[in-house]
Amino acid sequence: MKMTTSTTYKYDCQSMAKFLSAYAGILFSSGSTCIRLEKNVTRIAETFNMHSVLSIFPRHIHLTVSDSGGEVTTAVVNIATKPVNFTIITRLSSLSWDIADHRISLHDAEDKISEISSRPQIGIWSKTALIAAANASFCRLFQGDATAMLTVFIATVGGLVIRQTLSSRNFDFRVATILSAFTAVVIASADHIFSLSTTPDTAIATSVLYLIPGIPLINSFCDMLDGRYICAFGRLMHAIVLTACMSIGLYLGISAMRISIF
Amino acid sequence: MNELFQDAFFSSIAAIGFASASNPPKRSYIYCGIIAAAGHSCRYAILQSSGTDNHNLIIATAIAALLIGVLAVIAAPLAKVPAETYLYPSLLPMIPGMYAYRMFGALAKLLSISGEASFNHYYYIFASQGLTFFAILTVMAIGSTAPIFIFKRISFQATRHGLQ
Repeated sequence: MKMTTSTTYKYDCQSMAKFLSAYAGILFSSGSTCIRLEKNVTRIAETFNMHSVLSIFPRHIHLTVSDSGGEVTTAVVNIATKPVNFTIITRLSSLSWDIADHRISLHDAEDKISEISSRPQIGIWSKTALIAAANASFCRLFQGDATAMLTVFIATVGGLVIRQTLSSRNFDFRVATILSAFTAVVIASADHIFSLSTTPDTAIATSVLYLIPGIPLINSFCDMLDGRYICAFGRLMHAIVLTACMSIGLYLGISAMRISIF
Repeated sequence: MNELFQDAFFSSIAAIGFASASNPPKRSYIYCGIIAAAGHSCRYAILQSSGTDNHNLIIATAIAALLIGVLAVIAAPLAKVPAETYLYPSLLPMIPGMYAYRMFGALAKLLSISGEASFNHYYYIFASQGLTFFAILTVMAIGSTAPIFIFKRISFQATRHGLQ
């Protein structure tokens, strides 16, 4: 028979609220859905015989923790604007199960969170190449020929470099999206101007598709199906704003290059 | 058959590439590619057999999205990642980008032309392309996320024992 030993740690509501609010802030800003966030936080709180209630808003989370003795603490955490990171979501979800199954201490869990948050991501140039190859494949799926695919690959690299440069200099993400789409379209329009391929319109149209905000869109439907309409609406609006910025960049690019495709 | 394999191949490349944008665990890339290939080639096969009008496109997309959602839930415990990880990259090759493109193009024209006949023409393009775009997007998102809620137990226990 396998024997396991576990230590039961006791914490007050304030320590628990502090830990859970930090955990919830990182998980949500990494792109987690509301249902996953609530399940993970509830799982951790219940492990230590506490009760948690979350109010999730698009820009911040209110978290109330109470214990059987009647102590109640509320914490509010702001949601940082960060790129989506499913490695962090995966590992933080696993951490919540580790806390529940092995009853590890909050101190150890905090160390784990620091380690998870500081893990290196895939290299910037590898990511750029992968996304550009994906966008070129997109072009093929929309019946673009090999030259159009190459044009889309180069246009995507150009657009991504502009977006990464502007983001690293703390430019507004909407401005970065418009300028990134504009750059991609201007590069892709070379196909139209110099008649490089037989499908120049496909090259121009697919050159900006890497900017489609797919995850906010999918998360908004996830939240909507779960009945969390405020968050769903917030995410949907974010996706619509980014799509509109992408379209503005596309339109500006087409106008600047004097291309008529309608 | 050759076109079907081409469709599956390029949609899997697109899925793996776009997956990198959301920083998933490395072990999940291969599943993203397989799920996207299955979903997109399923849609392609349905469209080839039933015709590519808007009505068929919406139904084919809904079926393919549901398949992607179910496969994502099945694959989640295998790689010990949340099922949502697979959805975005697998669905992206089905996003009706050309409809959105024509919709926004017609909108831009609407703002710059004069005359009732031209306005009606571009308004027709704007409305018809826009409606198809939103209908496809809606069935895609609901079809793919519904299995996560139907199989909640599998979906939310997938990451258990996943921390190394």
